[in-house]
Amino acid sequence: MSDDLVKILDGNTFVVSDSRGDIEASLSDPTGLFSWDTRFLSTWVLTIDGQRLNALSVDDLQYFETRFFLVPGTGTVYIDAKLSVIRRRAVGDGFHEQLTILNHDDRAIDLEVRVKVDSDFADLFEVKDALKKKGEYHRRVEDGRLVLGYRRETFSRATWISASAPAEIDEGGLTFTVHIEPHDEWTTDLHVVTAMMGMGQEKQRPKHGPHATSTRVDMERGLERWLADAPRLESDWGWLRITYERSLVDLAALRFSPRSLPGQSLPAAGLPWFMTMFGRDSIFTSLQALPFAPDLAATSLRALAQRQGTRVDDFREEEPGRILHEMRFGEMTAFEERPHSPYYGCVDATPLFVVLLDEYERWTGDRGLVRELEGEARAALHWVDAYADRMGNGYISYQRRNEQTGLENQCWKDSWDSISFHDGSLPGFPRATCELQGYAYDAKMRGARLARLVWKDPEFADELEKQAADLKRRFNRDFWVEDGGYYALALDPDGRRVDALASNIGHLLWSGIAERAKARVCVEHLMGPRLFSGWGVRTLAEGEGRYNPIGYHVGTVWPFDNSFIAWGLRRYGYKAEAARVAAGVLDAARFFQGRLPEAFAGYPRGQTKYPVQYPTSCSPQAWSTGAPLLFLRTMLGLEPVSDHLIVDPALPRGIGLIQLLDIPGRWGRVDAFGRERVEAGKAPRLGSELGPQPYGKPRRRRSTSPSSTRASRD
Amino acid sequence: MADATQEFFEALSARRHEPLLRSVSGTLRFDLEDGGRVEHWFVGVTQGDVAVSHRRAAADCVLRGSRALFDGMARGDVNAIAAALRGEFTIQGDPAIVLAFQRLFPGPPSDERLTAGYARSRR
Repeated sequence: MSDDLVKILDGNTFVVSDSRGDIEASLSDPTGLFSWDTRFLSTWVLTIDGQRLNALSVDDLQYFETRFFLVPGTGTVYIDAKLSVIRRRAVGDGFHEQLTILNHDDRAIDLEVRVKVDSDFADLFEVKDALKKKGEYHRRVEDGRLVLGYRRETFSRATWISASAPAEIDEGGLTFTVHIEPHDEWTTDLHVVTAMMGMGQEKQRPKHGPHATSTRVDMERGLERWLADAPRLESDWGWLRITYERSLVDLAALRFSPRSLPGQSLPAAGLPWFMTMFGRDSIFTSLQALPFAPDLAATSLRALAQRQGTRVDDFREEEPGRILHEMRFGEMTAFEERPHSPYYGCVDATPLFVVLLDEYERWTGDRGLVRELEGEARAALHWVDAYADRMGNGYISYQRRNEQTGLENQCWKDSWDSISFHDGSLPGFPRATCELQGYAYDAKMRGARLARLVWKDPEFADELEKQAADLKRRFNRDFWVEDGGYYALALDPDGRRVDALASNIGHLLWSGIAERAKARVCVEHLMGPRLFSGWGVRTLAEGEGRYNPIGYHVGTVWPFDNSFIAWGLRRYGYKAEAARVAAGVLDAARFFQGRLPEAFAGYPRGQTKYPVQYPTSCSPQAWSTGAPLLFLRTMLGLEPVSDHLIVDPALPRGIGLIQLLDIPGRWGRVDAFGRERVEAGKAPRLGSELGPQPYGKPRRRRSTSPSSTRASRD
Repeated sequence: MADATQEFFEALSARRHEPLLRSVSGTLRFDLEDGGRVEHWFVGVTQGDVAVSHRRAAADCVLRGSRALFDGMARGDVNAIAAALRGEFTIQGDPAIVLAFQRLFPGPPSDERLTAGYARSRR
């Protein structure tokens, strides 16, 4: 998707237009007004006297609102600059557009203003795959509005378009006959309403507009409150502040309120195409944001619990206790041409659900939620043993049951070639990737804590701890690649070690399943030149058969991945190394105005001087947005221990000061300070401190005392 | 008469407590159309305790659709969420309680099979 497209959104309703504010979509072209995964407008073109307009500038007012400044004429020569046009558009239950035409001339003018309108009601999946529609369209003019509709059996969607100024409405759009006096202006409000029949979705008006200015004010206030509620950051490194602010604003835009939990929000996966509930993305982002916005975690847990699997369904890959992968609402989902109602094909979200519940309680002390979700957490733990062990060997593995439209790789590295042997060959299925075993271990340990503390079931806690200890022992034996000195990426169906070196070993540190001596060797790999590019840890190590610095999961650097690796390094006491990873990725954020992309290329830092962005359609991406937040946590060494927040900072060289003020939690609000020696009179220069070269030889410098606050849990 | 809808509600009524509805309190009414008749099923839930009746009282959420469709859901042949997206029944009121309730429907009968580890550690 080209970058000059303008995107605004509110929840899962969003508009993608060109810089004039026009929409001219084709089946394969991703512009339009979308809501609940359906395109409700595919044409929205403004002309004056039959002519298209030219963009002067676009003003992004809020994530849900934008303003286009236009003049008539085409090409670079303005035919008539005595007119200017302003389109102010706010999205919400459709959109509201205030169209204003200013006459700068000394003479009155007469104009024919037309808005051409159409809708193809394409499902998002159809836009992606350019598929044909199976239902029928209808359109009519009634009660002063244009109604565009689509029907397939009982499935019915409609778009209603109306205007405040007198208009001639036909089935292809609205025409205004406009007379404007010298130096005067003309204006109209345009209302576009999306309707999903039978779903209780019928709204008479879009959210915004003259009738509902309070909604816009509410949304603005909501954003202000969101920013005010978050901890304040001070740092001598300006880019850290910019990146932090960017993350908070983007996280606000990524919030999504499920209909079943009105007034509460959880992070969707990405803007705009992934503005829906994803188990894995919502959980990882909620974990990253816990010290900053703990409510996101509570809503994620509740929303995922409401949709937890209860039965065996091969098409959706649903099983009792399983946490969903992705929810969609469009036509193809409705007619079961896609399994997203919801689709459960992911194996990590279920153990991670328990991990998030425990981490949430550690931060907030909210035992009410732990009690409320006891049944769901137990069901998730049960699923790990009863359903996820597909090979019967005591390890979580995956093999899709939906052979047509299910996902082959059901771990976070979900592209087809992400899991490979050192020689590049691909293992068969089921595949037991290593990080899944770590998540299962952590889920059992944390589940045990909750069982003892909140559910008052010490027997269950003992049992879980016994299982976890057994898993850890077996894992360190079965996954360890002796001659390489690292954990295998996976076990294949024959129990062979899939021996590629990958970033997944960092997640094993985060989960605590790695034995200390083995962890030390893994850290050398993570910080060594094959995995560490200088910007961050690559998904797959240089020298592996499938390594490609611009391959999606086979060599690129993912900020989200790195943020959990840094957390893992901290957990095992490798403070300086964690700071180094944080520094590499945060320094890369400078090149993206503080907004980290989903991934960037794995080229060595010395080779490209700047991080090369991997082209993706979604930006911001939730777990990239969350990465700087988790890096702040790891740099400051924030760790909740009973009713206190332990602060144990280790800043990267080049950042002299980090202050995070008013961190919310069970302690109320507390401040955290981190300082590093900086040469007097020198401005912070993280980039130059990182140097042009990759990290090179692993450092042994363990500046930590062994009494790391997390040590007691290993 | 033994049919899927009747059996479903009778089984639910007999259970009296449904753990999957443990955190739900509210009322739900199903208006099931069958030819010219409309059959009412009224379900009251109090933290998982269920009471089923034919009352035609106001409820937090009312679902309206064909009895044949509900038979399909009760048998596991029809997925309730997909059917809702298709507009096969209408929902008026609080969607949270419907979302919780649909978890009680079985999966497709053909899919209920034991795989390698299923029986291993059922508690």
